[in-house]
Amino acid sequence: MMAPTVLELCGIHKSFGALIATQDLSLKVSHGEIHALIGPNGAGKTTLIQQIYGALKPDSGQVLLNGKDITGLPVPARVKAGIGRSFQISNVLMDFTVLENSIIAEQARLGQCFQFLRPAFSDKRLCNGGEAILDRVGLLDRANQPVRNLAHGERRMLELALALAASPSLLLLDEPLAGAGPDESQRMTAIIDALRGKVAILLIEHDMDAVFRLADRITVMVEGRIIATGTPKEISSNKEVKAAYLGDEN
Amino acid sequence: MAGFITFLFLARTGIRENKVLWLLIAAFALFPIFTHFANLPFWNDVAMRIMLLGIAAMGLNLVLGYGGMVSFGHAAFVGIGAYCVGISQFYGLTNGWLHILFSLGVCGSLGLMIGYLALRTSGIYFIMITLAFAQMLFFFFVSLEQFGGDDGMSIDRAEFAVIDLYEPLRLYFLIWAALASISLGLMFIIRSRFGVTLRAIKSNESRIEAMGLEPLNFKIISYVISAVICGISGALFASWQEYVSPDIMHWTRSGELMIIIILGGLGTLAGPLLGAIVFLLLEEFLPLMLGEIAPTYAENWMILFGPLLIMVVLFGRGGLLGLTTQYLAREKSHKTEEG
Repeated sequence: MMAPTVLELCGIHKSFGALIATQDLSLKVSHGEIHALIGPNGAGKTTLIQQIYGALKPDSGQVLLNGKDITGLPVPARVKAGIGRSFQISNVLMDFTVLENSIIAEQARLGQCFQFLRPAFSDKRLCNGGEAILDRVGLLDRANQPVRNLAHGERRMLELALALAASPSLLLLDEPLAGAGPDESQRMTAIIDALRGKVAILLIEHDMDAVFRLADRITVMVEGRIIATGTPKEISSNKEVKAAYLGDEN
Repeated sequence: MAGFITFLFLARTGIRENKVLWLLIAAFALFPIFTHFANLPFWNDVAMRIMLLGIAAMGLNLVLGYGGMVSFGHAAFVGIGAYCVGISQFYGLTNGWLHILFSLGVCGSLGLMIGYLALRTSGIYFIMITLAFAQMLFFFFVSLEQFGGDDGMSIDRAEFAVIDLYEPLRLYFLIWAALASISLGLMFIIRSRFGVTLRAIKSNESRIEAMGLEPLNFKIISYVISAVICGISGALFASWQEYVSPDIMHWTRSGELMIIIILGGLGTLAGPLLGAIVFLLLEEFLPLMLGEIAPTYAENWMILFGPLLIMVVLFGRGGLLGLTTQYLAREKSHKTEEG
């Protein structure tokens, strides 16, 4: 039985002046799969993610999430519809502690942010929820640290935790391993691996070892177009891909 | 009943967390005793002005300090609040409670309108748009000949039913009560889910969006709350001054409010009040000091004030409140080292 399609892109097109960033691109990501998006720098991977996330609007084409057209929706509405995201540069609340970060994510998840009386950070229910969010990525022992004191890898971990807080159906990960040390990289890879089967993941990553270890399917982008989609095995033996991208390594 | 007890409990923990603020407010409550025995009634007047500017600065601080929105037009709301009193009296409405209600309504809806439009921009554009709205309102009232235009209009102190503001100290404690209740309200808002979200938006707006929240909604609501607080300050200002003119909403007052906040401590509860105290005391004393040294320059006290402000900003990030808490923390650690 095929897993249901979570994300479907139909003929997405985006250009900035004469530069075509996304060229009539179609793609499907199904539930539970880790789908890696690779390609040389400037291939348009992040631009594509931005269009799925809603920060950029495609010139034409459709973005479908769980069969629903979300092309016209702004970012917050897409997040509510089920998209979680980590950014290329760690995007967490720097002026707060780790637990405070997750408490804010928890109250956002509950959709109860317009309350003006009861203090948020001492609210038992929010604290419990926040701790559960941190526990998922093993950051519970760092709960009371200011985010500024965290190592780079831990910030990435926190960001992943925040992205997972609302149990999204689609997780967009933009280079989650960038800048991480070997240990951090291994921990992060293990956490992403453990998400397999639970959520659809679209992963941009330059670390090819990690990509080939994690991905169920790989899509290769060059100059805004998809040149190949397939299992890691198919991709590593694809001639066009070799020529365009992996050429030197093999 | 249970709700009330929780409220008291929450208020108590909040007051403990904000000792400086509540010490200052308590000091204002006791200040008239001091002026009575020292026979310095003039200083009651200064204290009232400090409290009024403190209230307005607290209102602005909600958007500026906690929300990170640099609004350069908040004097407009102070002015609108004052004119609500002036114009009501002009048409024979003398009840002070109604004046305040009127100010709340007008400042709230104006804040909603201006916030809704201006908050679509950010950075320098937001500063300019808020300034533009404030200037528009300023010249609107300048052009209203009926209400005194440029010269403004004299008014009587408002009538608050049982409280006769012409009795000694009635106005003082009315202003004090407004200060205390607005401080209490802001204290709750800052710690609440709404306040936490607002502070998170200042810290990182795109993460808040990524959590599925629309930052604009939170910003607009905080803008309206802050406009309303400035309006209350203005309404009381009118009774204090017994006079309303466009001067009260001149753009330099918007700057003054920002200076007060930065001086006292941006994004802190006690900061604006502390800033107002220091700012107005300097405004009283610097000309006197300068008059002693160089009499011809007495009115240019800003020459001394400017460098002072620069020093506070440079050396005390977090303003005077930041400096004080840093100093207290250092003292404490010294003591524990010795002991």
